[in-house]
Amino acid sequence: MTRQLACLFLLVAAACTENATAPGDCPNFCPTDSIAIRDTIFISVIERDSSFRGYVPSYAAEAMTAADLPGVVDSRPFFTTDTMIRRVAPKVGDTTTVPISVDSSRVRFVIVRRPKNTTNLRLRLYQLPVAADSTATFASLDPAFTATPVDSLNVNELLGLPAIGDTQTVRLWGDSIRVDAAGHVLQINRLDSTIAVYFNLDTLQAPLSDADTGRIAWGVRVAADSFASVTLGTRESGGNAPLMRWFFHYTIPDTVSATPDSVVHADRAVATRFDNFVFNPPTPPLDSNLAVGGVPSARALLRVAMPASLHDSVDVVRATLILVPVNAVQGAPSDSFKVEAHPALTDLGAKSPTGTTAAGSTFIHIGSADTVKIELTNLVRSWSLDTTATTAFILGQVPEAASYTEIRFYSSRAPAFRPGLRVTYVKRFRFGEP
Amino acid sequence: MTVGRSDGRTAVVIGVLTLLAAVWPSGRLAAQDSQFGIRGLGTPGKWESVRARTTGGAFAPFDAFSPLTDAVLADVRRMSASMTSGTSWRSVDASGTQSSLKSTRFPALVIAGPVTRRIVVGGGFTTYLDRSFGVVIHDTITLRGVQQPITDEITSDGAISDLRIAVAARLHSRLALGVGLHRITGSTRVNAKRSFADTLNYRTSTARDEVAYGGTGGSASLLFDVTSDVRVAGWFRADSKLRADVGGHTVAENDLPLMYGAGVQWRAGAQATVAGNVTWRNWGAVQSIANSHDTFNWSLGAEIGAPASPFRFGLRGGQLPFGVGKTPTEVGFSGGLGRQFSGGRGRLDIGLERLQRSGTGLNERVWTFLLGLTVRP
Repeated sequence: MTRQLACLFLLVAAACTENATAPGDCPNFCPTDSIAIRDTIFISVIERDSSFRGYVPSYAAEAMTAADLPGVVDSRPFFTTDTMIRRVAPKVGDTTTVPISVDSSRVRFVIVRRPKNTTNLRLRLYQLPVAADSTATFASLDPAFTATPVDSLNVNELLGLPAIGDTQTVRLWGDSIRVDAAGHVLQINRLDSTIAVYFNLDTLQAPLSDADTGRIAWGVRVAADSFASVTLGTRESGGNAPLMRWFFHYTIPDTVSATPDSVVHADRAVATRFDNFVFNPPTPPLDSNLAVGGVPSARALLRVAMPASLHDSVDVVRATLILVPVNAVQGAPSDSFKVEAHPALTDLGAKSPTGTTAAGSTFIHIGSADTVKIELTNLVRSWSLDTTATTAFILGQVPEAASYTEIRFYSSRAPAFRPGLRVTYVKRFRFGEP
Repeated sequence: MTVGRSDGRTAVVIGVLTLLAAVWPSGRLAAQDSQFGIRGLGTPGKWESVRARTTGGAFAPFDAFSPLTDAVLADVRRMSASMTSGTSWRSVDASGTQSSLKSTRFPALVIAGPVTRRIVVGGGFTTYLDRSFGVVIHDTITLRGVQQPITDEITSDGAISDLRIAVAARLHSRLALGVGLHRITGSTRVNAKRSFADTLNYRTSTARDEVAYGGTGGSASLLFDVTSDVRVAGWFRADSKLRADVGGHTVAENDLPLMYGAGVQWRAGAQATVAGNVTWRNWGAVQSIANSHDTFNWSLGAEIGAPASPFRFGLRGGQLPFGVGKTPTEVGFSGGLGRQFSGGRGRLDIGLERLQRSGTGLNERVWTFLLGLTVRP
């Protein structure tokens, strides 16, 4: 009997799985209340909005733009190298040094963004004064940039050449390369599709100057049949920085070597000392609108007066920031850029710290004056739940100060075009009523 | 050292306490769900033990372990406890949409014991209204000018239980009277979720809460032996308003019905008993619900065989209180077996019940496996 009882209880326990949910036949066999949804544009909740400039200067940007767009902008990146040695120790541990003789050099730029539909895209290399630094302006460097270029390469032609992928090449370069008749090299990074281009320079094109302790400065201008604009990597972008490599030889004297008067060939990469870009016309000063982008970078701080109705008894399912641009951003289509909204952790005005994770983002397309919409659902949901949260966010360009591009939106001071917040929310379900 | 051996009474107390901890105050005290109860206060529970339920409910007024009436507790001669459980498989046909549902419940628990030779005190739980259900609604709405497919899921898990303490007194060798006090209590965990097909732009909205219910009631019943073989019963019950609280705030108050009924039992020899009863409840007095109906229910059943291992069967019919249009109806048949063990100190009852409910736009068919355990230490 005990065993039979145990079996029965086991049977009941096994049956203790629930499935109480069925397709609803409404309204006759559904709860009286239903899930109600509302969609409202709050046109006056964004207030005390303003822009601030100076967050990131161009020399600290993670990219630099080369562009030549007549009537819009002329942007020219440049970089300077560190010093280059003039003597080497031929033997490890020996204090005796010997002079080196430079044979050639190679200058590398990494193109991190380029227009895919532009033809005849060319990069022109100019030698600049080694004193070029953060105080350099478009005007001050213009003489050097308008001189005869040291060298020039055609990116589209290089891309059209067959890749050289023999074992020797791959051993030296790490991957296949494309080489034109002048010795320019192009290599495509398989991971991120960036393009590294190399100028091969002789000693006349790139002389090693003792007076400058081997330091040298290079600038780049871009040209194309249309929409000439590329973005180059900088020191801040990690491995995509401009790079200068010297190739030289030296002779080992017979007094110190087992192989007398032998000639040794070597090379040395010198660190990039400084990189920057200058452009004309410069970014216009701030006005009553909300500026985002430009150089130095500008950010817009928008404060939101959350309506009490969004705090109580609602569940926000979608929230969209609506911004009306003052003008379409001018430039090359490939210069379209990203704008991110980051929550302000506390409201300290221009110096408000922001959350590391973007609350929302959108792409600003060159030439488009359409209303810009940024989804801020998670941010507004968190504000709805936490009445103590700082209800403000900051709009910024990504990456900052890497381009001449800047967008301006109408602020709350323009009543007809002020920023708005469109919120879709579910009203609280009336539980407990039959 | 002497190791004490626990007696049967201790075992029952431990068993009952364990059972209480397992089922109270969770919604598993619920009886049997029905889609008809969604748009009303719920689905009324069946205040019957497995023994009564397998006779179609006909034996409920005459069964001490069915919490329908109080007077019948006077028949309890020893401290006893009884528990009922049921597993239901329900198929629902709502305007052509078929679905299969399943649930396991513990709809009744009764403990009773004599205080004096003539007075018996009892108590326990039963389900007053079941409020466990879930509906899924697929629809398309226009949102921001775009057709947006959505899915709503509204669920409620729990029940309104009837906590009873009753006293029965045998006033005469043929007459017993019982009164009971009822505390109507319980809660449901409710959930309303809306999800969107466009998960990229729209977040799922989920609202959860717990609704607490409360009310009080009183009952009285009479048991009269017309002859040594014929017994009649009558009962009456009235309850206060049912209050629903969310977060400590009362959101609704609803009337509860009066209930009255009568039954007769005939002992047709030593190994056959036949019974029947009728019950009325004025659910139509629940003003706040548009489609509530007064109900009349009947049942007829028999128990055949030796008292130690009888066979039972029964029929039932009647109405359900909530439903659009005409009053929904319920008919069913059931059968089962009982078996005593441990020299009559325990009894195991099993049964199978088939119910069919019909109303405007909805049909339900339910199979329920019933299991009951009664212990008399």
